[in-house]
Amino acid sequence: MLREKHHQYIAAILKRYPVKRSAMLPLLNLAQREEGYVSEAAMKEIAAILDLTPSQVYETATFYTMLNLKPIGTFHIQVCKSLMCALVGADELIHWLEDHLGIKVGETTSDNLFTLSVVECLGSCATGPMMQVNDDYYERLDRQKVTQILDDLRRNGTSPLKSGPFMCPEPVPPSS
Amino acid sequence: MAEQHTPQLLRVTIDGIAVQVPPGTLVIEAARQVGVMIPHFCYHPKLEPDANCRMCLVEIEKMPRLQTSCSTRVTDGMVVRSNTSPVVQAARKSVLEFILANHPLDCPVCDQGGRCDLQDFSHEYTPTVSRFTELKRIFPKEYFSPLIETQMNRCVQCLRCVRYCDQVMDVKALAPAGRGTMTEIKHFGHHALDCEFCGGCVQICPVGAITSRLSMYEYRPWMLKRTETICPYCGDGCQFTIQQKNNELIEVNSTYGAGRNRGDLCARGYFGYHASTHPDRLRHPLIRRPDGTFREVPWEEALEVAGERLMGIKQAHGGEAIAGLITSRCTNEELYLFQKLMRVVLGTNKIDCSARYGHVNGIEPLRRVQGAHRWTVTFEDIVAADVLLLVGTNITETNPITGLKVKEAVKRRGARLLTLETLLPVRGSISNITTLSSCHIPVHPLGYGQAVNALVKAMIEQNDVAPQIREQAVEFYRTIESVLRTCSWEDLECDLGVSRYRFFEMARIFREAMRAVVLIGQGVLRASRGADIVTNLLDLLLLAGHHQRPGCGLGVLAEENNDQGAVEMGALASYLPGPVSLSDQAACQAIASLWMEELPQGPSATLPEILNQARVGHVRALYVVGENPLASLPPSFNVQEALERVEVLVCQELFLTETARHAHIVLPACSYAEKDGTFTNTEGLVQPVRRAIDPVGESQPDWAIFSALSVVMGYPIEYGSAKEIFKEIQSVIPRYALLGPAPTPPNVHQDVVDRYLHGDFQVDVTQRYTWPRLSPKSEKRLTLILTQSLFHSGKFSTRAKGLLRVQAEGTLLLNSTEAARWGLQPGGMARLSNERGAVSVKVRVLDRVPEGMAFFPEHFDHDIRILFQAEVDPLTQVPCWKQTSVTVEPQ
Ligand code: SF4
Ligand code: SF4
Ligand code: SF4
Ligand code: FES
Ligand code: FES
Repeated sequence: MLREKHHQYIAAILKRYPVKRSAMLPLLNLAQREEGYVSEAAMKEIAAILDLTPSQVYETATFYTMLNLKPIGTFHIQVCKSLMCALVGADELIHWLEDHLGIKVGETTSDNLFTLSVVECLGSCATGPMMQVNDDYYERLDRQKVTQILDDLRRNGTSPLKSGPFMCPEPVPPSS
Repeated sequence: MAEQHTPQLLRVTIDGIAVQVPPGTLVIEAARQVGVMIPHFCYHPKLEPDANCRMCLVEIEKMPRLQTSCSTRVTDGMVVRSNTSPVVQAARKSVLEFILANHPLDCPVCDQGGRCDLQDFSHEYTPTVSRFTELKRIFPKEYFSPLIETQMNRCVQCLRCVRYCDQVMDVKALAPAGRGTMTEIKHFGHHALDCEFCGGCVQICPVGAITSRLSMYEYRPWMLKRTETICPYCGDGCQFTIQQKNNELIEVNSTYGAGRNRGDLCARGYFGYHASTHPDRLRHPLIRRPDGTFREVPWEEALEVAGERLMGIKQAHGGEAIAGLITSRCTNEELYLFQKLMRVVLGTNKIDCSARYGHVNGIEPLRRVQGAHRWTVTFEDIVAADVLLLVGTNITETNPITGLKVKEAVKRRGARLLTLETLLPVRGSISNITTLSSCHIPVHPLGYGQAVNALVKAMIEQNDVAPQIREQAVEFYRTIESVLRTCSWEDLECDLGVSRYRFFEMARIFREAMRAVVLIGQGVLRASRGADIVTNLLDLLLLAGHHQRPGCGLGVLAEENNDQGAVEMGALASYLPGPVSLSDQAACQAIASLWMEELPQGPSATLPEILNQARVGHVRALYVVGENPLASLPPSFNVQEALERVEVLVCQELFLTETARHAHIVLPACSYAEKDGTFTNTEGLVQPVRRAIDPVGESQPDWAIFSALSVVMGYPIEYGSAKEIFKEIQSVIPRYALLGPAPTPPNVHQDVVDRYLHGDFQVDVTQRYTWPRLSPKSEKRLTLILTQSLFHSGKFSTRAKGLLRVQAEGTLLLNSTEAARWGLQPGGMARLSNERGAVSVKVRVLDRVPEGMAFFPEHFDHDIRILFQAEVDPLTQVPCWKQTSVTVEPQ
């Protein structure tokens, strides 16, 4: 089903690499963008595209923590727990989020809206505590700000308080 | 710069011991040569270096830091310190301390205990107190598979298992999931392992992280009694070690480097050993009562009755009224003695064996064209080949270890693989040799004759014929050329569904080879006119000029363990031991004088002929040893009628088979595990079979029964042991010997080749290259083919509980498009029917099955056999019946 939908994009990815297997990460990324996580069906499909076995795709998918192997909510909240953020209250923020959302780290709310994860340094150490929600950064967080962000997300699917993404180069959107 | 061609040896000093090694040698290997054992986990001579465990660190002069000896290659003048360096000793301690930081130390309940590298190295290098006080990593226990167990807490993450499964097996079923210390070996997600179950990962794991479930918690290595013997299943003839405790089979494995298999096995060998001791084994001789039931009798009585009744037939109707069938699963000694008994004591030449089911189609052409009835190449030649042509063989499933040699040639040595085979190159849980092919041409099972025509035609037409043939055998190639002119490319392309340029490409690659090996499998050997196809492939070798080149040749893949031996022992119709043709008066006379007996003058008879003659009353007594024609042939062959008609049916068997149920006298025989002897493998290597356990019940080795029977019948041909028989075989067949680890294959006989090239080829050349057009694919019918599965061999393996855990029933295999076309659901039922009957079977999707076809494993053909019609090959009398066409409905 990836192949049907993104036929040309996949062809373009494959063209970039002399060895087919090298196209694994871009394809896993594509699969994750498609469903929010990398499903077994997607791994099998990628294996077929790359002439590998599903086990070989699985081993790579499990190596990268940024690839989700379980379905996640609409908004994936990833709070930095590394040292700089920890010094300015990341732990507190994580606990507060757990209480507020009624889930533990690694879980998804029953309405399937939010998944809470903690991650290592996201490179915004000067502006901690911080979190990334899907592709967007939210920095210098406090309870009030986070409440606002969550409300915005629930209501509008996005929040004006975001400060990103600052990605360079901009990710290529999957063309269909 | 002539010196460059002589490989220079490099000088290296290890712990003060000097040694010279060829370039490319790893330090760890050089050390082993001088007796310095460097501890290691991830290194294994079968695998590419990975250097991930750091256990093998050594000090090398002029190199900074310690180096991994498993990945460092020797340079000239290198000075290495291993056991003599305190730094190295300290490093080993630290590495072990890290590994043990997460090891559960549950040796008392670990099956590896007593032969574990980690145990041994810990013993040698670790301080008894660890500085780690943290909690150990713990993986939740997960079900892994029906045959293989994992205990990931014990894993040292050396990845040998993963690399073996990929580099050697090409299965790639194992995944190191996760990262860091939390890496665990899994299959795919939480799915149970689905793979070839070769047991290789179990054998190669240096610790107890991957173990066999068949022998779990049953032993400690030092309790086991070991016997080196030969696998009883396929013709590859793998050497393995049977390990038993109190006469109970506990485990089978194969030491690294042992036998022709070099320590690798397939599922049948590794997990199939329980067939021998199945509870259904016959334990006593039986005699049938008039009401059809059997009563147990003592051996003396059984032998007396059998002898008396067979002799009775001989006296009343002559030896020609008696015929014998024997399975190629017997040892050479038994096959030899059987044919001798039949000829000398019972006075008949009507003897045949299971090589009739296909192997004979390979033997006859080999004898005719090159004068050798064996392969003229070896497994080593397969590995060293630069071009391999596989015709009609799903080699991974029929001859898995020969398949490994092909994989090694292609994957590790860059050989080019050419395949003419029904399978499509689609990956799956079982590796698929056609995925490694650089030129694969899919062939319909009825199309091999035409496909080989196309290949020969392509070779001639693009002027690829070797100069020596062009100059010295003009007649030969011109005749073939003109015969093939009548077979047009348009017709070939239409029938085979492949462009002629594919054949041109394949012919070109084949012609350019320096070392070309052709391997032929069941697709050809069991096909009607299979011998013609093999002869034409030999023509191809001749045309390409490969026949005399060292390392080039053609091999036919033997299906059963001793098909080749059965032929050589004269258990095949129209042959005496040698094989010597019955028409070769002088050679027959020589054997007769050796035996000091008269040879019977009557005709020989093949399996189909024997059954026909039994049906009409010409054969009145049948002596069947291990053969089960009733279950090996479809009902349309009328075996039942033949068995019911004969006056005396003696069956010598392990089990009360379909055929044995009709017997008047049943004699219980021993399996391979309970007797001594030899098997001859597919490449013609004679290997010793050794008794590992005591005979089950009162069963006796087949040779001992023949011997005893001859005494009872008053013509004693007695032997005290299998060795004595082997000695006699050596006097009948000069140079028949245990050929040792590296066999020299027989040579192509140039005089025979010349005779063929300059005349003999003409006898049938027109007919050989004339093949009927394939009928166009029918939309309404499906071609159903009985195929061999990796997990079974004949019907013997269906008594092995291990193999039954992976495959316990037959399922209809077809690709997803085809399944959808017929409205079939995977796991659902399908009703197959044709003029001969109807059966219901379970459906499984397998995408390597081509469109318009379905496969079914022949080992479970009990019900489905009715759909097939046997056709007897007019030339070699091979009963061909493995395909039919059916209509399909979902059910
Ligand atoms: S048993 Fe299966 S997983 Fe293990 S090496 Fe063999 S094919 Fe691979
Ligand atoms: S399971 Fe065994 S072979 Fe595989 S990585 Fe672990 S220790 Fe090595
Ligand atoms: S069945 Fe054949 S390949 Fe498998 S272990 Fe036995 S001899 Fe070897
Ligand atoms: S420590 Fe939190 S972003 Fe770097
Ligand atoms: S054996 Fe050398 S690093 Fe593992």
